[in-house]
Amino acid sequence: MNILEADRLSHRFPDGSMGIHEIGLTLRKGSFTVLAGPNGSGKTTFLRHLNGLLMPTSGEVRIKGVPVREDPRRARRLVGMVFQDADSQIVGETVYDDAAFGPENLKLDRREIHRRVLAALDAVGMSGLAGQRPHLLSGGEKRRLAIAGILAMGSEVVILDEPFSNLDYPGVRQVLGAILDLHSRGRTILLSTHDLEKTIAHADRLLLMEKGRIVADGRPGAVLGQTERYGVRRPCAVRWGRAVESWLN
Amino acid sequence: MAELTAFGYHPGDSVLHRLDPRFKLVCLIATSLTVLDSGMAALGLWSAACAILLVKTGVSMPRLLRELRYFGVLILFVFVARAFSAGGDPLVRFWGIGPSRQGMMEGALVGWRLGLVVLLGLSLMATTRSWQVKAAVESLLRPVPFIPHKRAATMIGLLFRFIPQILSAARETADAQKARGIGNRRNPVFRLVKLAVPLLRKTFLDADRLAAAMEARCYTEDRSTPPLSAAAGDWSFLAAVCALSAVAWVLSRL
Repeated sequence: MNILEADRLSHRFPDGSMGIHEIGLTLRKGSFTVLAGPNGSGKTTFLRHLNGLLMPTSGEVRIKGVPVREDPRRARRLVGMVFQDADSQIVGETVYDDAAFGPENLKLDRREIHRRVLAALDAVGMSGLAGQRPHLLSGGEKRRLAIAGILAMGSEVVILDEPFSNLDYPGVRQVLGAILDLHSRGRTILLSTHDLEKTIAHADRLLLMEKGRIVADGRPGAVLGQTERYGVRRPCAVRWGRAVESWLN
Repeated sequence: MAELTAFGYHPGDSVLHRLDPRFKLVCLIATSLTVLDSGMAALGLWSAACAILLVKTGVSMPRLLRELRYFGVLILFVFVARAFSAGGDPLVRFWGIGPSRQGMMEGALVGWRLGLVVLLGLSLMATTRSWQVKAAVESLLRPVPFIPHKRAATMIGLLFRFIPQILSAARETADAQKARGIGNRRNPVFRLVKLAVPLLRKTFLDADRLAAAMEARCYTEDRSTPPLSAAAGDWSFLAAVCALSAVAWVLSRL
């Protein structure tokens, strides 16, 4: 069953340049897709269409069959997004407040908000940090808090825009663990990156973008051979003819 | 961004943290107005009360004073301006002008008042979450006609959210410029322009990113924030502030 469909999606910026061009994509419920491409290839622009933060110049995105344009609020509830810059998406003054921000916007009652926040913080292993100031967290903890924030909203699709940028090795492992945990609980994952090394061992699909178009789409094993043609480095193990290992091993 | 400025919310369980934010706002406004009309003795009383409350909030006083150093320059400017312009008997004369005893007293009084109002505002910022400020402003403005109370409250709440971030960005930019030798340039206008341009650009970009992140999480003015409820402790605090204001008023007129 497809949970997300993008149909001939194009976006032209006010200066006339094309951000994305005629993108068609369907995401199967529960899939783990990696979207790779060099800087400026249109990954973030594309992702921002999936929950209505940007509206297409032409084409359409549907979440569970309903066009995003018809009900952007529903799309934002179902499609949660973790942004590249963790600091700029922190809204609350404590970890608890930040995770509660989304459910409060959904006008849930306080008891339900409390239940969801505790469950979300628990899911990303941050229960003990509920009273902490978010800006004092480590990079990995901030990303996990962002994930908790969208978990608390009940998002079914989780979009992560460059979730490993500026993270050290322990931070990468923490965030990767949280993402895999979400996936194992049935969430659909779409993760954008220009560094395949950390995630490709877990993905069941790899998309490559270049100049606003999807130029390759398939199982990672079939697409990895083409990545360097489009400005994305192949993982070291692939270059040496070996299987890619998980960063959690 | 690991180290924040002293301007911002500090989690805690002090008296001010526990107060209903509406009472805090009303007390802040009333106290600030009283302070601006207070004499030396009353200011001493207010300062002692403010220092005790600030210490109880857990804010580091040395760090707070360090971060207020630029405001200290403004107070110094006010002091000098008053000292030279208020009239009275000059203590010394340079080219026909000089600071007078009365002017210096007046300058010290004005500077003290301004500094105290800033510290009172900081104690509110340190102990109140931005959603509490929003809820309090919304509640206090609701009976006022022709004011879109929800929008006004949202704007003030966001302002509270942004002040520490802007100050943190300013510090980062200033450090980056120091590392590239801005200290060798003595022209303050040049330094100010070189600081302001990247800081403004970063502030607008951050605001844009924050707006997108809030929108992605279904932000709306009509949210289910925790209800505010006044307890006996809030009324007691208000009564104490009123009593202190009365004492300060009497002291100022002795």
